[in-house]
Amino acid sequence: MKKVLVIAVVLLSMTGLLFAAGAREETPARLRVGMVTDAGTIDDKSFNQGTWEGIVRASNDFDLDIRYLRPAGETEAEYVREIGNLYDAGYRLVVTPGFKFETAIYIVQERYPQAKFVLLDGYPHTGDWNPVVGDNTVSIFYAEHESGFLAGLATALELETGAVGFIGGMEIPPVQKFNWGFQQGITYANANYGTNMTMDSRNFVYQGSFDNVAAGQQLAASMYDRGVKAIFAAAGGVGVGAINEAKARAATGQNVWIVGVDVDQYDEGIYAAGKSIILTSAMKEIGNSAYDMIKAELEGTFPGGQILTFDASNYGIGIPDENPNLSAEVEAKVAEVFRKLQTGEQVVSDERGNLIR
Amino acid sequence: MWDIVAQIFPYAIAYTIPLLITALGGLFSERSGVINIGLEGLMVIGYFCTAITVRYLEPVMPPGTAVPIGLLAGFVGGMIFSLLHALASINLNANQVISGTAINMMAGALTVYLARTITGSGNILIRTGLFRRTVPVLSQIPIIGRLFFTQVYSSTWLVLAILLISWFLLYKTAFGLRLRSCGEHPGAAASAGINVYLMRYLGVMISGAYAGLGGGIIMVTYSGEFGGTVAGLGFLALASLIFGQWKPFGVLGATFFFGFAITIANVSQVIPEFAVIPPLILRVFPYVVTLLALVVFSKSSQAPKAIGQPYYPGQG
Repeated sequence: MKKVLVIAVVLLSMTGLLFAAGAREETPARLRVGMVTDAGTIDDKSFNQGTWEGIVRASNDFDLDIRYLRPAGETEAEYVREIGNLYDAGYRLVVTPGFKFETAIYIVQERYPQAKFVLLDGYPHTGDWNPVVGDNTVSIFYAEHESGFLAGLATALELETGAVGFIGGMEIPPVQKFNWGFQQGITYANANYGTNMTMDSRNFVYQGSFDNVAAGQQLAASMYDRGVKAIFAAAGGVGVGAINEAKARAATGQNVWIVGVDVDQYDEGIYAAGKSIILTSAMKEIGNSAYDMIKAELEGTFPGGQILTFDASNYGIGIPDENPNLSAEVEAKVAEVFRKLQTGEQVVSDERGNLIR
Repeated sequence: MWDIVAQIFPYAIAYTIPLLITALGGLFSERSGVINIGLEGLMVIGYFCTAITVRYLEPVMPPGTAVPIGLLAGFVGGMIFSLLHALASINLNANQVISGTAINMMAGALTVYLARTITGSGNILIRTGLFRRTVPVLSQIPIIGRLFFTQVYSSTWLVLAILLISWFLLYKTAFGLRLRSCGEHPGAAASAGINVYLMRYLGVMISGAYAGLGGGIIMVTYSGEFGGTVAGLGFLALASLIFGQWKPFGVLGATFFFGFAITIANVSQVIPEFAVIPPLILRVFPYVVTLLALVVFSKSSQAPKAIGQPYYPGQG
């Protein structure tokens, strides 16, 4: 009986191999677009989700085969393995969200010259931060400082007086640029629109991680206790804790706000029907970039070898189209400044200069 | 200094309470002779059960009723899930450490899978949890009022009440004596007519229920969103249990120490008085102290004698 079983199993696995081999030779008729997720889940309401939504939208428009893989961890080896898995399954365009993929993309862009890679928020390098963008790779950056600037401006215009704070995740360039832009936005509003917002260095901090929910809640609580009215939380899971604290306070009648990040976080801040503590959000249009690159690949205009920056001029950043907590007047003023950013009439610095942290 | 302590106190308490109730759960299990490394996983289960219950009841129930029911769901969910550990380690005489580890691994994966299947997202967001309240008259008492009656969650009182009840149960009732005897010498307990299986089952179930409640409290107090992990709090509870030498009030002290030290590390950046100390030092401080304490106490460890040993009926 046992022998029969063994033979049956062997036969089964052999047929499996045959079929697998057959499938591999077949050339896919449709473009296969793959994605490897960064830390967190596909529905993280941030980078992973935004990227994936862009890919799904492209798939609806252009009829693609799409798939995402979640690596077991956040190391270069695990990223490379998942990208290799996608490649082996015939995926020839791979989108990777986040700077953590930088060294992995450096490896795979040489290993798989047939495939194309889109790296969001980073550029390939060997670990020495010297950009080496292969001909089959496009590296995309966002002008976070412009996004933060618009959010800061909107915050100041809507609240007019009071203190603002900032909670960042890790102290890395994209997060820092959000912070610096936000401060410039507040200062700009104070100077040009007569608002009276204050910034205190004690209220501008980087928590040091993107997942410490408890610390986010405790930092936000300490700032609100000190009289801060609005906190710009660019901190992933740390921001979840801050949003939760703001919701608890708003529900008991306190006037506190959070400025969201990366995507429109309005829905996450809802604490009662029609009320959210998300004043506005400093967005990066991640999905748009993924969509644009897929479209370019299909049209044969994939900008391989380039480092692109998505800013106000190509609608790569901004605040949400609808901000129920902002008055129409404020939105109009922000839109006006957005146009100034587009034309270059108003410039936001992406350097720290003499700003807080 | 006093103002700073008073200011961060409510947040430290909020962080301590889930840790305390979970460690207390571990105490019941280990006092009955079953190691429970699965506390982390049981917390995740409770976290999930509370999140999903509140998420669906919130829109249809009167305000303020969904959260207690959610906490009850966490309590019951943790208890039911702990039965797996009880079955493996009590009936099947499996290695208790392995069984607990299996609980941890299963809980994280299972809850995210369920969350995604049921809600379509691995993260479950609730609208409102518990609010901190200031107790009207009591908060006017000097010092104590400011520390214990200002900005507290009702769950804090619940857990402190459970602590007192647990202490009473363990040390002042026949049940407690029986439970503890099963952890010290199950053979002797059995010869005195005690049902060792039943006692150990109860110990593990209480640990599951308490850990589940701990996870639920995280959900409705400081987190507000289920994300599939409690970031090692279950293991911290286990460390507190050892640090507290398997005694209810020792556990209270240990968890409070952890809660306060971690809160200081978390908020140190926004409080200039703490900012002079490098955050790294503040962050490792509680763990270094724990290691030192374990070294110091290792000679006089109060661990239950029969902990980790499967019980075979008729053994001597």
